[in-house]
Amino acid sequence: MTARARYDAAARALIASGDWQAEAAAALPDMAGQPVAVLDGSALTRLDTNGAWLLLAAAGLDAGAPMPELRGFTPSHRALIELVAQHCTATARQPDAARDGLRSLTGRGAVAMGRHVAGLLDFVGRLTVESLALIGRPGQWRWRELAAQVRDIFVGAIPIVVGMLFLLGVVFAYLLGDQARKYGANIFVVDGILMAILREISPVIVAILVAGRTGAAITAQLGTMKVNEEIDAIATLGLSPVAVLVIPRMLALLIAMPLLVFIGDVAGIFGGMLVAQEQLDISSHMFVDRMADVLLLKTLLIGLVKAPVFAIFIALIACRMGFSVTRDSRSVGANTTSTVVQSLVAIIILNAVFAVTFVQLRI
Amino acid sequence: MTDTVLEIRDVHTVLGGNSIHRGIDLAVRRGEVVALIGGSGTGKSVLLREIIGLLKPRSGRIELFGQSVWDATPAQLNLLRRRFGVLFQDGALFSSLNVEDNVATPLFEHTTLPHGTCRQLARLKLGLANLPADVAKKKPSELSGGMRKRVALARALALDPELLFLDEPTSGLDPISARAFDRLIRLLADSLGLTIFLVTHDLDTLFSIIDRVIVLSNGRVLGSGTVAELKQLDDPWLSAYFAARTEEASPHGN
Repeated sequence: MTARARYDAAARALIASGDWQAEAAAALPDMAGQPVAVLDGSALTRLDTNGAWLLLAAAGLDAGAPMPELRGFTPSHRALIELVAQHCTATARQPDAARDGLRSLTGRGAVAMGRHVAGLLDFVGRLTVESLALIGRPGQWRWRELAAQVRDIFVGAIPIVVGMLFLLGVVFAYLLGDQARKYGANIFVVDGILMAILREISPVIVAILVAGRTGAAITAQLGTMKVNEEIDAIATLGLSPVAVLVIPRMLALLIAMPLLVFIGDVAGIFGGMLVAQEQLDISSHMFVDRMADVLLLKTLLIGLVKAPVFAIFIALIACRMGFSVTRDSRSVGANTTSTVVQSLVAIIILNAVFAVTFVQLRI
Repeated sequence: MTDTVLEIRDVHTVLGGNSIHRGIDLAVRRGEVVALIGGSGTGKSVLLREIIGLLKPRSGRIELFGQSVWDATPAQLNLLRRRFGVLFQDGALFSSLNVEDNVATPLFEHTTLPHGTCRQLARLKLGLANLPADVAKKKPSELSGGMRKRVALARALALDPELLFLDEPTSGLDPISARAFDRLIRLLADSLGLTIFLVTHDLDTLFSIIDRVIVLSNGRVLGSGTVAELKQLDDPWLSAYFAARTEEASPHGN
């Protein structure tokens, strides 16, 4: 039976009939704040707590009005409505929480940022102490864990690194060749490709891929371990979570990143070589000859030197964000996002610092 | 009203090559408070998941309110889901929402009430679950285990279900909170006319609030009845199970 209710102004009575459940709210008449002295439930066929509360709220009970007289309720309905009435004071309509103004948001943000930096410094300190303690004792290194991490981080990333860098090499050579051909400077395209791929594109793109792929995975994994209290369990067993979890990952990244950058170099040059052959009539023999003439070892080394620095920062940020997960599922997601964003920002800034430094040092 | 709310006929389940259920038959009538017991690995929680439509049995029929769960269309299943509430073992509260919004979520999704009213109803349920008013704005992670269970109970009650499933409601609670939770369940069952189907290991729960106990053993229903009736059954696991309590009650050493 559908729910109905009408208000009898003369008797100040609210008369309800039918099935009173949550959906019955639409059946409530417009009371315009008139008092309800009597609640008539003689024609009710069903009543649940949601329906009972709606009737009592219509009588203003949640706003502190006195309990109306109950008329015609069956004993079980009466018991239910009395039970609900006991808890009505707790259901008073509450004002919406005040929103933060710009000033308090800025202040809170600044404090959070300060805590974040302090936490990172603390983490770096602990990591340094633990690493120094481990240096003299190779027996305590987690070789197996290290090998597993290198496999995940290095071998797993090879296909994507090769694919990305090959395509970037193709695009770069194509655009550069298009310009160079106008001036008949076809052969200088080789110089440009080598310089760009080895020195900038490969290290930065590989770092970005690793930050998105491995950095996010590390944070999510350590964060979930934190939520499941696995990290507490490691500490309780007398092991150091930093030595067991962080140092193998950091070392693995240190090993994997330069290798990935080198693979990226080869893939990028190969992509450039293909385009040079098709578009600029530079045969692969000419390309390699030119490479032998103009490629300086330092160009290769600059790219390979950047890689471990990026690796350290990615590992630091990812592990630290993993450890700072709190015990709810949302913070795992938030920290994983934060890891990727922080890593990307760090990579771009570091790359700029490198560029300026190398120019100033005339390298 | 003594109609059947839940009926299970000849359910067989195979999980990972292991035969868990080998023909389960049971029925629960309206208004009963029924407990399902059995040793570890007898498939109590699996059966519960099959009843609430999360896991499909290999064969057999499960009916809720006369409607087969596994033959229902998604729309029918959703209507069915509004008529029962589930309390998961660890509460399964949404950690990103505060307590009030956790309880109000079923109301947000399944009714057309304005959100303010849903939150007021949520606070009513929190009150019914015996929680103080100040928990409403807290996050689940700030609550104790017992409070989390009560919030989960309030959420299970949000849509005023006719049938409530509880998965080990007192596990992880201290004895005092566990008994208080038992009393709360019984009080709600009596005052709201709920039918309750619970999976438990807790002997004290069985002795205090249960109308009928169903025992699972070797993939079948071993017996069903009051605790006194079950004690008459000759089964080694059941004897050891009830003996655990008599040992506890008898004084040690003197």
